[in-house]
This record gives sequence, structure tokens and C-alpha cells, in this order.
Amino acid sequence: MLKIDNLHAEIDGKAILKGLSLEVNPGEIHAIMGPNGAGKSTLGYVLGGRPGYEVTAGSVTFDGQDLLEMAANERAAAGLFLGFQYPVEIPGVSNVQFLREALNAQRATRDEKPLSGGEFLKLARAQAAALEMDAEMLKRPVNVGFSGGEKKRNEMVQMGVIDPKFAILDETDSGLDIDALRIVGDGINRIMRKPDKAVLLITHYQRLLDYVKPDFVHVLADGRITRTGGAELAHELEREGYTQVAA
Amino acid sequence: MATKNAEAHAAVAKKYEWGFATDIEQDFAPKGLSEDTVRYISAKKNEPEWMLDWRLKAFRLWQTMEAPDWAKLNIPSIDYQDAYYYAEPKAKATIASLDELDPEILRTYQKLGIPIEEQKVLAGVEGARKVAVDAVFDSVSVATTFRAELEAAGVIFRSISEAIREYPDLVRKWLGKVVPQHDNYFATLNCAVFSDGTFVYIPEGVRCPMELSTYFRINAENTGQFERTLIVADKGAYVSYLEGCTAPMRDENQLHAAVVELVALDDAEIKYSTVQNWYPGDENGVGGIYNFVTKRALCQGKRSKVSWTQVETGSAVTWKYPSCVLNGEDSVGEFYSVAVTNNRQQADTGTKMIHNGKGSRSTIVSKGISAGRSDNTYRGLVKVAPGAEGVRNFTQCDSLLLSDQCGAHTVPYIEVRNPSAQIEHEATTSKISEDQLFYAMSRGLDQEAAVALIVNGFAREVLQQLPMEFAVEAQKLLGISLEGSVG
Amino acid sequence: MSVLDLPSNRAEAWRWADLGGLAAAAALEPVARADAAPYFLDLPGARLLFVDGVLDEGASDLGSVTLAQLAAGDHPLGRRAGGLGWLLRLDGQAVTDPVQVVHVATGRENHLAAEIVLGEDAAAQVVETYVGAGWSNRATRVELARSARLMRAVRFLQGAGFVSVRDEAAVGQGASLVTTFLGAGHAGSRIDGQIVVGEGGYAEVGGALLTAGEQKQECAVRVRHAEPNGQSHQLWRAVAADRSVASLAAAVEVARHAQKTDGEQSLRGLLLQRTATVNLKPELEIFADDVKCAHGATVGELDARALFYMQSRGIPKPRAQAMLTRAFVADSIERIGNEAVREAFAADADAWLEAVL
Repeated sequence: MLKIDNLHAEIDGKAILKGLSLEVNPGEIHAIMGPNGAGKSTLGYVLGGRPGYEVTAGSVTFDGQDLLEMAANERAAAGLFLGFQYPVEIPGVSNVQFLREALNAQRATRDEKPLSGGEFLKLARAQAAALEMDAEMLKRPVNVGFSGGEKKRNEMVQMGVIDPKFAILDETDSGLDIDALRIVGDGINRIMRKPDKAVLLITHYQRLLDYVKPDFVHVLADGRITRTGGAELAHELEREGYTQVAA
Repeated sequence: MATKNAEAHAAVAKKYEWGFATDIEQDFAPKGLSEDTVRYISAKKNEPEWMLDWRLKAFRLWQTMEAPDWAKLNIPSIDYQDAYYYAEPKAKATIASLDELDPEILRTYQKLGIPIEEQKVLAGVEGARKVAVDAVFDSVSVATTFRAELEAAGVIFRSISEAIREYPDLVRKWLGKVVPQHDNYFATLNCAVFSDGTFVYIPEGVRCPMELSTYFRINAENTGQFERTLIVADKGAYVSYLEGCTAPMRDENQLHAAVVELVALDDAEIKYSTVQNWYPGDENGVGGIYNFVTKRALCQGKRSKVSWTQVETGSAVTWKYPSCVLNGEDSVGEFYSVAVTNNRQQADTGTKMIHNGKGSRSTIVSKGISAGRSDNTYRGLVKVAPGAEGVRNFTQCDSLLLSDQCGAHTVPYIEVRNPSAQIEHEATTSKISEDQLFYAMSRGLDQEAAVALIVNGFAREVLQQLPMEFAVEAQKLLGISLEGSVG
Repeated sequence: MSVLDLPSNRAEAWRWADLGGLAAAAALEPVARADAAPYFLDLPGARLLFVDGVLDEGASDLGSVTLAQLAAGDHPLGRRAGGLGWLLRLDGQAVTDPVQVVHVATGRENHLAAEIVLGEDAAAQVVETYVGAGWSNRATRVELARSARLMRAVRFLQGAGFVSVRDEAAVGQGASLVTTFLGAGHAGSRIDGQIVVGEGGYAEVGGALLTAGEQKQECAVRVRHAEPNGQSHQLWRAVAADRSVASLAAAVEVARHAQKTDGEQSLRGLLLQRTATVNLKPELEIFADDVKCAHGATVGELDARALFYMQSRGIPKPRAQAMLTRAFVADSIERIGNEAVREAFAADADAWLEAVL
């Protein structure tokens, strides 16, 4: 589904990713772990198509298409979802308006009929309920005045509504207390744990992995993957620390 | 970063969709401006003697005045002799029914999507609200709809020329009382040569049964448009009034110098909404309308309220400060504004809230959006008289910059002479954040849609003040303004 | 043009200027020379005493200050002050003790120019005090080289007349200029300033204008960010009693390429009687798109809830009013770095409040 080959990327002339390769197949959940500054968020942004991140070598294909050639919204329409570590506030634009426009823009690209207001609201309310988010919050401006945990939960509601093929979740566990962590973890399993879908979890700690069990764990250090293993690798990292394991 | 701004800028580069000219026969006043021009206009309108005298007095006054020299506006001097001051579609002197209207004009309004045919409105979508329309084509009101229904409610909705003939006492009582003849250069000029416009009177205790609306269209070349609007809401009356404007694309600059006077007596409320979309000129600043408008409301009565809402996207140059003189005790003035400037447009707009009445309150929300090489200025005054106890004002001015070649300016004046006043003013300047753009795009919106969404969010506080029909139109207009070539 | 050849009130920058007060001050009959001694603070460093714009050499200790012929600019006020003036010029790295300047006016008009030129990494403090009566007009040019630091504190304590100051400052790369004004006398005043901030420069200008009687005091200060990454703060407070007028006009201008500028303005006015007037004009003029500029302005009376709260704790109303007013003024002079100077200014403000409240 996603094939990253020898990816090099830099920001402001500074090399961050230095030859990263990774393949994710349908039905798989991969976790990328690593110390701060290893390039974890950069990987998410490069895959999401954030301007300012320059790919200097390598390739990324998504379902056989050249991902790097696509604009951020085209990637979204192709089925890729980026869950932000720091979800952005958009004053004056309600969650409902934002998400409905986004969803219908994606559907239009795929030649699907737009959802009516009623159909959309039903869908959004159901997702909010599943993530135990007050439906009233759908009417509030996107992420404005939300706590850190509410923002992360809102990201999951968006993911549920958009129903992507592939999700990159960047530090989705940060800022969550233990109850919220369980709710978000259940959400990821419910929405994404399907034979035709896949997930790339970017995380610093293994605690989210107690709820979302990864099929593969990769250690990212200094811009490339230095080790790959199963779920047990996450525990090893937790015990031994990155310096031991990654070296 | 520079790229992102360039892209955002390109997203705002827009096409003017209302730029067609209508080919109809027209009667012009002789070119140029003299007492004869004034007499010609007055005679064309069959005006009473007092009206002609009033015009001539203004004209003589105007000749002694100097054009204002505003710091932030860069305007070539205007040759007032090289313009027509009156253009009238050649038609019957009076139009008995819409059937007699020149079909070309009717087609023009159809193209603009303005419902001046009552039957169509009546046969329209079920549940749609009725809007009575006064359509002004160059210098003349060509159609006023729903007259009978309004008259049954006691509401007078007329072109001002008709009102001068039919309700001389009412017009004479208020004309020039809110904006005096000597007020400013362009207002004085308007007093001398105003051609048409709208008159509304809502009698005591009447809630106007439908939205009233005027659509202004400048069609003829080299023509100035000088309409005059007077709205009087008697005690306890309510009216919501909408104003829309478009013009064809022409290389020359055309002058639009309107005067709008509003009067609200005890417990009366006037809601005045404008969507101004005059031709802004091309991307090099050639052509476009000079929009020099004087709008003022007299909140004379206790608890009277006037609310100005404007969405300004057009005109090469806009110079406009819809204001409230809050004389009444506990009277309320509001000003909600979105001004979008692009290419070489210049907008200098804002409001004056003059608090003379005890307990009077005002709210100012101004959202300026600048793109291209444009300049966008908020200029405002909040003034509190010594005797005005318990005055409250809140002002919020936000500017959004979409390019690194444009300017955003905030020039608020606050003059307070009463210690019990509470005046608060806040302002911010920002650009569209790349984070917001990327976030919206990563959820599937293309660049244009993302910019439009964020700009609409920025302007939301103002847009939601518009009556529903207009809010949709204004949102679309912002959307269309943002449409175009994404780089 | 008035008799003094100044712009009229129709010019936007002179809208609130007290042109009549200026002319009247210039015509004030001579008064006895006030004793300057109490106005020199107990600080090391140079002491300059100017009487009607002329140095009293016997009473002065110039230190690193010299007298020099100084050119006048073309500002309507500043241009009158060209000629022999005082000059503080420090070479790179140099640091000097505070320079104190006391200006005593004895009626009529007097004009004086000053220049403060600091080399790279140099640092200086200047304290200026105006006493006496008449029209005192000053033009001060400040030039700060890279990373230089100047702290200036200026107080207007004249008993009558008018004090006008025209400041023109260039803040170099990474340099810092902090200027604080206190108007706590009985004379009218106009603070007229233009500060140009260079790359990464820092400018702070503000203070408190306390007006009573028929007094009119105003500031008209413009900070221009000419280069990227600059920062400026303008924090002004006005307290107006009786029939006085206090006007605060502060502008921030950000040039086209001065990206990442952070400009902030806070203007607040407090009216003590309904006959007084406060005018505010916080102006933003922005030509760059990646900037953070905000301003806030408020006018009002003392917080009634705070007053009641204090009274309910046993503080008499006049005392509570004084405390709240003092707090209102305090944050504008808190920026003065030198403790002795800050305390002296606070004492002046207190004295004014004691007399008026």
C-alpha cells in the first residue's frame, strides 16, 4: 500500500531524513518510535505533503501512485489521513462546516455524490458519540479553545468521518490522560483495524501501543530506520531506552 | 513562505463577473457640471421649486470647497467637467408596469440575478422570503416592486424623485438633516446633482413586512452616479434594508458619490446592509469605480438602533464611513464591516460613533482583507460628549494580509469627555497561517477552497449579521473573489 | 499656520496639539529661577544644569558630555532648537554612569538641541527633568550602533508654560532603546517622536501623562520598523482631571520587508471628572505580511468592583481611589531600569495624585 524507498528530506537546507525505507501492506499497523529529533514528525509531514519539506532523494508510492507528486489535498482524496501532533485552530469556521467541505471535496475528486447536510450530521454525530465527544463541540470553531486532549479526540472524529485507507498518526497519544488514551485507542482500532486499511503510528512512548497493538515496530534514529521488530520491541525500548536499542 | 503567500495571492486574483455593459438608448445631460446641469436634472425630474433651490445652494457651496486630501488614498485629480451627471434610459416618462420596461434593462437585472419581476418572486421557491426591490439604472429608478403590499402596511417605498413629488413634506423634513449640505466635498456635490435613489418611510409601530432592497447599476460610460437614499423609521418601527451595486468593466474611472441618510426615532430600528461590488478596475489598476459615499444615521430617539453591515469587495477606490450620531438615550449603533482589496484597489473605510445620548452603546467590528498590491485602511472615530453618562463602546479591528505587497492600516481615534464611559479597542494584524492552509488541505480541500474557508471564518462575525439572502450572496462573493488562477 | 509657524490642528498629526498653549507659554513673563538642587538625584555621573537652555557651568559636571554645535532637523518644533547643545558620544563597549540633565526655565521661550550617539555595545542612562515656567523646546537625536543600549527617563515638572520635545532616534541592529516619560507638572506638553528600529532592534517608548486644571498634554510618537525581526512596545497611560486634556497618539509602522516584526501598543486613559478629556489614537500601518502587531486601547473610570472590595476591607474611598489610580499609572514607569530613578518618578507621580485626588 505504502512504499517508501531511500527517502531523503531536508528542511531549510538541513537534512532530516537520510535514506529511510519502509513498506506497509493492507491490514498492517506499524509503529515508528524514536528519540526526539530523530525525524519522526518530519516523516509524517513529508508523507502528508507539507510545504517547506524538500525531498532530495528517494521515492514514495501510495497504491502505486507517486505520492510526492501530489498536493496535500490530493493525497487526502487518495485516502491518506494525517493526524496532527498539534492540530491547528481555525477561528470562525465550525467543525461541521470544515469537515463537511473537506469530505465533499474528497468525494468530488472520487466522482462520488456530495453528502447532504442531514446525512453528514448523522455521520459526524455518530463518530463524535463513539469517541465520547460532546456533539455540541461539532458546532464550535475548529480546535479553537479545545484542550490538548479534546484536539486529539477531534482528530479521531475527523478520521472516523473521513474513513481513510491509510492513517499516519503523529504523537496522537500526547496530551491524553489514561481514559482518553483508551477511547482514542479504541477509536483507532474501530476505524482502521481492517484488512484493506493500514496505519503508521508515530510515537515516542509505547503506552498507546498497549491499546493499539502494532504488527511491526521500527526504531527511527538520525533519519533512518535502524531496527525493526514486533510489538515486543516497544517494550524493550521502554526498558532499555533509545540509545541502547537504536545504536 | 514566500511561495505560500504567492499562492494565496494568486488564489485571490479574481475575475469580475458582473462586467458586461448593456446596450440601450440613453438620454444624457450635457457633459460637464454647471448650474445648467443642475437645472437640467431638476427639470428632468419635474421637481418643485424648493428642491431646485436646495440643489443650487449646494452647487454654489460646492464651488467654494476643496477636494479632500486623504493621507492613505492615492487618487489622480478628477476632472468634474469631463463626465455626464445624468443618464436616463430612453423610455416612457413613467412606467406603468414592468412590461413596459426596456427588455434590455430587464435582461441586465436578470443577468445580475436580481428579482425585479414580482411574478417570478411570487412563483418562486416555496417559503422563500419576499424582498421588495428598487432598481436604479444609472441615474434613474427603473422599477420598484411590491408597492401595493407595502402600501397596505403603510410603508412608503419609492424612488426619491417620486417621493419628492408625492411626499414633499416628509422628504423636506428630513432631507439634509443627517448629512448637512456642507458636510463634505462629495456629499455637497451629491446634493447638487443627485439623480435618483430611494426613499423609505416606516410609520409608527410598523414592522416592515419584507426586506427592502435597492440594486444600483452604473451602465453608461463617463457617467457619475449620485444616488440619494433617505430612510425614516418612526417610533417603534423596524426595517431591514439591503443595497447591492455592480458596474460594467470600463477603462475610465467612474465616480459614485452617494449620500445615505437614516433617521431612527424612539424605539425604532434600522438594519442597513450593503454588498458593494462595483467594478474594481483591472489587475494594473486601470478603470474601476471611485466610491465616495457619505452614510450616516441619526439615532434621534430613545432606545433607537441602527446597524450598518457592509461587505466591500469592489471599487478601485472606496472612501466610506457609515456612521451613527447617537443622540437618543440608550440608543445603539453598530458597524460590521468586511473589506476585501486586491490588485491595486484602495479602501479607506470605517465608522464614526458619536455618543451624545446617555447610556448609548456602540459596537464596531471591522475585518480587512488585503491582497495583491492593495491598501486597506480602517479609519474610525469614537467620540463621547461630556453629558453622555454610561456610554459603552467595543471596537475590534482585524486585518488579514494575503500578500507581501499589500498594506493594512488601522487608524482609530478615540475622544472621550465623560469619565463614566467604557471604551475598549482591540486590533490585530496577521496573515493566513501556513499551518491552517496545510491542515485544511490535508483534509482534502484544494488551495482555493482552503483560502476561501479560512477567509470566511475570519469574516464570520460580520457575515452572520447579514440577512440570510444576503449572507449567502456575500459568502459566494467572497468565494468568487478568491476564485481564479491558483499558481 | 499659527503665529509660531506650526501646522494647524487640521493636520492629522497635530489634531490634538495645544497650539494656543504653546503660544501663551512663549509669552510668559519672566519668573525667579527655581533651585535645581532638589531635582538632581543621588547618583554618580555627570550633572548638567541648563537655565533657559544655557549651561550653568558652575553648577554642572560634564563628565563625558561635551557641548557642540548641533544641526537642526526640519521638524516644525525640532528645527528651532539647532545651535549649541549637549552631546553624549560613547565609543564601542563604553559604559557610563547616569547622565542627569535639569532644565530650569524662567519665562518666555528657550530651545536646546541634544545628541546621544552610542557606539557598538556601548550603554548609557540619561535622566532629564524640566522645572520652572515658560516654553521649553528640545530636539534630541539618538543614534544607537549595533547592540548599544540606552535608557532614558524624562519628567516634566514645570509649574507653568509648555514643554515640547522632539525625539528622533535610530536604533541599530540588535540595539535597545527604552524611553519613559512622566508628565506630572502643571505645564502643557507635547512629546513628538520618531523612532526607527533596525534589524532585531528593540524599542520601548511610553509613560504617563497626568493632567489637571486647564492643562493639555499629549504624545505623538511613531515607531517605524525598517528592518526584520524588530520588537517595539508602546505603553502609555493618561489620567485627566478637571478640565484638562490628555491625548495619546502612538503609531507603529512596519516597512515592506520588515518581516517578523513584533509591535505592541497599549494605550489607556482614566478620566477623573466629567469635564476632562482623554483622546487616544493607536495606529497601525503595516506593509509586511509576516508580523505580529496588536494594540489595545481603553478609556474608563476606576473599576467600581475593586473600589468596593477595598472599601469593604476598611480602606476609605479616597485612599482606595488613590491606590487604584497609582496602580494604573505604575506599570508605565515600571520600565525604568535604575531603581533610584524609578523611585523618584514614582514619588513625583504620587505627589501629583495626592494633590489632585
